[in-house]
Amino acid sequence: MAAYPHIFTPIKLNQLTLPNRIYSTAHAEVYADAGGMPGDRYIRYYEEKAKGGLGMAICGGSSPVSIDVPQGSWKPVNLTTDRVIEPMARLAETVHRHGMKIMIQATHMGRRSAYAGDPWPHLVSPSGVREFVHRGNAKAIEIEDIRRIIGDFAAAARRVKASGFDGIEISAAHQQLIDQFWSPRTNMRTDEWGGSLANRMRFGIEVLQAVRGIVGRDYCVGIRMCADEFHDDGLDHETLKEIAQAMSETGLIDFISVIGSGADTHNTLANCMPPMALPPEPFVHLAAGIKSVVDVPILHAQGIRDITQAERILANGMVDIVGMTRAHIADPYIMNKVREGREDQIRQCVGANYCIDRMYSGSDTLCVQNAATSREATMPHVIAPTKGTKRRVVVVGAGPAGLEAARVSRSRGHDVVLFERNNAVGGQINLAAKAPQREQMAGIVRWFDMETKRLGIDRRLGVEATTDIILGEDPDVVIMATGGRSFVDQVAGWGAAEGVSVSSWDILSEKVPPAENVLVYDGIGAHAGFGTADFLASRGCTVEIVTPDVKVGDDVGGTTFPIFYRRLYAQGIIPTPNFWLDRVYAEGNKKIAVLRNEYTDELEERAVDQVVIENGITPNAELYWSLKEKSLNHGQTNLNALYANEPQPALREPTEGNRFVLFRVGDCVSMHNIHAAIYDSLRLCKDF
Amino acid sequence: MSLAPAVTILFWLAVSTLAVGLARRARLWRVGQAAPVEWAGLLAVPKRYFVDVHHVVARDPYIARAHVATAGGAVLALGLVAFNYGLGIYLPVLDWGIVGAAIAMLGGVYFVWKRRRQPPQRLSRGAWDRLPYTLAAFAIGLLLLVGLPAEALSAAIAAIALVFLLVGSAELALGIGIGAPMKHAVAGLLHLAFHPRPERFEGLRSTALKPLSLDRQEFGVTIPADFRWNQLLSFDACVQCGKCEQSCPAFAAGQPLNPKKLIQDLVCGLAGTTDAAYAGRPYPGIAIGSHQGAPHDAIVPKLIEPQTLWSCTTCRACVEECPMLIEHVDAIVGIRRSLNLTQGDVPGTAPDILANLRETETQGGYDNARRYDWAIDLDVPTAEAGKPIDLLLIAGEGAFEMRYQQTLRALVRILKAAKADFAVLGACERDIGDTARRLGDEATFQSLARQNIETLARLDFKRIVTPDPHVLHSLRNEYSAFGGRYEVVHHTALIDELMVAGKVPFGKLPDARTLTYHDPCYLGRYNGEFGAPRAVLGRLGVGVREMERSGLRARCCGGGGGAPLTDIPGKQRIPDMRMGDAQAVGAEIVAVACPQCTAMLEGVAGARAQVLDIAELVALSLEARP
Repeated sequence: MAAYPHIFTPIKLNQLTLPNRIYSTAHAEVYADAGGMPGDRYIRYYEEKAKGGLGMAICGGSSPVSIDVPQGSWKPVNLTTDRVIEPMARLAETVHRHGMKIMIQATHMGRRSAYAGDPWPHLVSPSGVREFVHRGNAKAIEIEDIRRIIGDFAAAARRVKASGFDGIEISAAHQQLIDQFWSPRTNMRTDEWGGSLANRMRFGIEVLQAVRGIVGRDYCVGIRMCADEFHDDGLDHETLKEIAQAMSETGLIDFISVIGSGADTHNTLANCMPPMALPPEPFVHLAAGIKSVVDVPILHAQGIRDITQAERILANGMVDIVGMTRAHIADPYIMNKVREGREDQIRQCVGANYCIDRMYSGSDTLCVQNAATSREATMPHVIAPTKGTKRRVVVVGAGPAGLEAARVSRSRGHDVVLFERNNAVGGQINLAAKAPQREQMAGIVRWFDMETKRLGIDRRLGVEATTDIILGEDPDVVIMATGGRSFVDQVAGWGAAEGVSVSSWDILSEKVPPAENVLVYDGIGAHAGFGTADFLASRGCTVEIVTPDVKVGDDVGGTTFPIFYRRLYAQGIIPTPNFWLDRVYAEGNKKIAVLRNEYTDELEERAVDQVVIENGITPNAELYWSLKEKSLNHGQTNLNALYANEPQPALREPTEGNRFVLFRVGDCVSMHNIHAAIYDSLRLCKDF
Repeated sequence: MSLAPAVTILFWLAVSTLAVGLARRARLWRVGQAAPVEWAGLLAVPKRYFVDVHHVVARDPYIARAHVATAGGAVLALGLVAFNYGLGIYLPVLDWGIVGAAIAMLGGVYFVWKRRRQPPQRLSRGAWDRLPYTLAAFAIGLLLLVGLPAEALSAAIAAIALVFLLVGSAELALGIGIGAPMKHAVAGLLHLAFHPRPERFEGLRSTALKPLSLDRQEFGVTIPADFRWNQLLSFDACVQCGKCEQSCPAFAAGQPLNPKKLIQDLVCGLAGTTDAAYAGRPYPGIAIGSHQGAPHDAIVPKLIEPQTLWSCTTCRACVEECPMLIEHVDAIVGIRRSLNLTQGDVPGTAPDILANLRETETQGGYDNARRYDWAIDLDVPTAEAGKPIDLLLIAGEGAFEMRYQQTLRALVRILKAAKADFAVLGACERDIGDTARRLGDEATFQSLARQNIETLARLDFKRIVTPDPHVLHSLRNEYSAFGGRYEVVHHTALIDELMVAGKVPFGKLPDARTLTYHDPCYLGRYNGEFGAPRAVLGRLGVGVREMERSGLRARCCGGGGGAPLTDIPGKQRIPDMRMGDAQAVGAEIVAVACPQCTAMLEGVAGARAQVLDIAELVALSLEARP
């Protein structure tokens, strides 16, 4: 306790005592089973946090109380039906067994959805103003809808309490229905539900009264609200302080969870789950502002990824409970590790926002660096030693795939040799961390670096493995994780071989100095293309970024591209989507880039000083091919076994003498991302 | 010419000398405070000598045998001389007995002499070096005078024999009066009769400190005369064998404490002399010769420096090793009490901790209401008046430490798995007072003890369980003086008991690393519990690789007696040495059973074995259970 006196101070919310001051906020998991029922995956995801020592989780981000809210895209918990009580009870019972408290967020989204999906509703909003992010066309809400929805909130609260949950959080954040009533941006009504602040607050207060009426005095009820919408025509901090104070004074709520920023534009949405480009804890001052006017405990998340940071914020008295949600997606065992003095082993969230960016593209939430998260049924967070044969495992390449393969194999108890031809581990992540405001990507490497050292892996850095070196280690298993190299030779006309164009790798690794006027061609649309353009622009280059995609950075997700675009426009980077790069040739001391429009086939030319090409990678597979025929399994991963999460059949073969099994993971098979590389290794290595 | 009358004269001369010397020495002892004395103890001396003393001496078989021969021979010879010559009976047949005894004595002396040619450093030299010669002189003199027929004795041989006997008798008879080595024989036997802890001779581990009567203005030992008379007597029994010195962790760490020197300094204080004649090793870092005392002069700092007293961890290793059964720790705490209660002079962070105890009833200055914060998510009941329970769990100060909370959480998991009927003491738990008491703050200890006793009286429980041996010791052994009598069980003993009863669903420990067990002083030496922790480990399928100093002779972690608070510098740290002991046997895990040991051993920097409480190991085996 000496080290974290504030974190480990329990706190009471109504009758509920939380064992510590860290919790996981409501977020859209996208894990619920069909019909919005928390199933096995959902329960296991929260059980892992409970096992990891977390004090409380609020689950079910934006779980709707009414049937006119579409649920398809983010798969929340369906609070509109009594059928949800039984599975929720199972969830509550499961996490309670490990001492964790659990609440759920309940909401009506109002206009914050797309009508085009089941049940194809006419969305409602105080004044029927369309929402931009979700293309949320809505009608002006009618009194009957208001009454119905207030009743729905109460019914949902009844279900939550009946399921044995410890409390309910009513969302008035992210511009959902309650704060659509609050905000002058969305509420232009002139009746008793609009106009004065008191009128605009009426709906929210009636919801809380109805909820409190159902659950009674002693049940924990809180709200989540924004502390500044960051829109000139929206709610500012002072108004939201007034609202918070009024809410607190109703005596209906036991806590207020505060977030900074509205969320109804792409740019504000990016603030809500602050990506690595934002400073740490960017909005804690707003939470503290709310705390200054209310009597109930303040909960706050957003960019608090480190346990000492949380302790400092609590010690400063800025908030009462700290949310560390993405932090727990990256490592559900944070609290146990802190309790046990194993802080160095915490896999710290780096704010890559792979989790939330997937959610905004309609996919399930996954962690860029932890492939076990939300796959708890099949993938272990804590690797148990093998009960079978101890093997000698040689891993070639210390990028994310190789590092994970080495880590998991060693944790299983095998002797592991890890070869890396560079002098540092990390592979392509080291390049990714060179882009401006992407430096924290290096945090992923830092953890693997520390873990592979702690676990006692025989790391041979600066050693280029050869067939002889590998076979000289007398391996039982060889895992090829040699990654790839920049794929600039895909199109001969780009002139990479002649040095007419250079690769994004050349620029980010500072092998080639930036020229004055640069054209960046991004054939991939992920982080590297814009990152390279940003790298050049931030060094004073004039940069045009060309891509055949519909927009620059098309494949980076909803909370990342706004950050890119802030920097693109601020630095005057010229975005040129919808063009292919056909060829590059030298003319005098200029490079001529020939561009072709995807839709018209019209050609354009640019005369620049440097053409930089980001075209992903081509696998470094030479070593694999040289070992393939020598291996027992011809380098083949049995897909039936792999996808069924079962051990590889080839491992049953005896591997004494010169016999070994060979596998290939990550980019040296074909270009994947960091998560995929790590998942390749985890699912393969967990079983031997 | 028969020399028998000469022997008779010599005998009575010696007896008279001894009597006068004893009377003089007794006058010194009598400046001490009154002590309840059982005169019947005199009758118990033979048993106490032959059983209890030799139980300790026998740990060193070489010197034990030498001493049996020397002392046994001497006593037998003296007895026969007293009868045959003292009473003037002069039976020749008895002379053969005397001859036999003298030969035995000579044999013993030979081995003593042999050892003293290259004596271990712990032994004092000086006057002690002459002992083999003077005792040999006695034996040879006796042998010649009694063993040879009168006609075989030439005048010259007779004269030499008489001189030998005279020299030997002088050593034996003068010792007590002039404070020479043979003082130990007389004082030692009387000490056995009037020992301050006679329970020790009944096979009990008498380790509780005696309370001060604060109402009667007892504030500990300021001057030598403040000791009870039988404590002063006990100091005179010291043979300067240095077994205490060898076992003292503070001495080994180079801190300025040497229990042997401390006892010898107290003898100086008793006799009003300086330590110039002391011929053993000094307090590390403090020169010999500058210490001076008198029965009515303050002990600190002229006779003993304060840092010597504050170096002690109260581990009782010295007491356990002492063949003369001297109670060093009682002496040290006695003087600490005076320093604390009359001068408030305590070094390091100890004053802050004592102030915390007075003001917050916790050592760390915590809010008592937060003592069981670590248990909130474990759904642990708090004891309430009128709600009977089997077991009352008292966590102690470790409850405030994040590291130790791991142990407590493991213990709770075990108790729950065993479906034990238990509750924690909760917000009304106050510090148990052990640290205050060892630091000499008897007032704070008594205040805490009385309040805890009052709290416990309101609750309805059968037994107390605690993982903290210091809490256990106070509750089990020291609270009774204030009316608190409880059945107290250490968590290791309880776990053992639950395992035996088949209530703990344990499995094999899923960790094959080499393990050793570190005995906490307050569990082992203080309370005699050596078996349960080892039995529990055995049940987990773990072989304990014992360290050289283990069990009764275990080396302290350095955490007892408030020593981490007074923090007297030495050349190395005690816990570092202890982890070195573990390393020497190749241990990768050190199993512990005490929050102090956990904290001290985990404070060791650099690569070292992992420190895990037995409760944590058992909890691991619960999880590993198939």
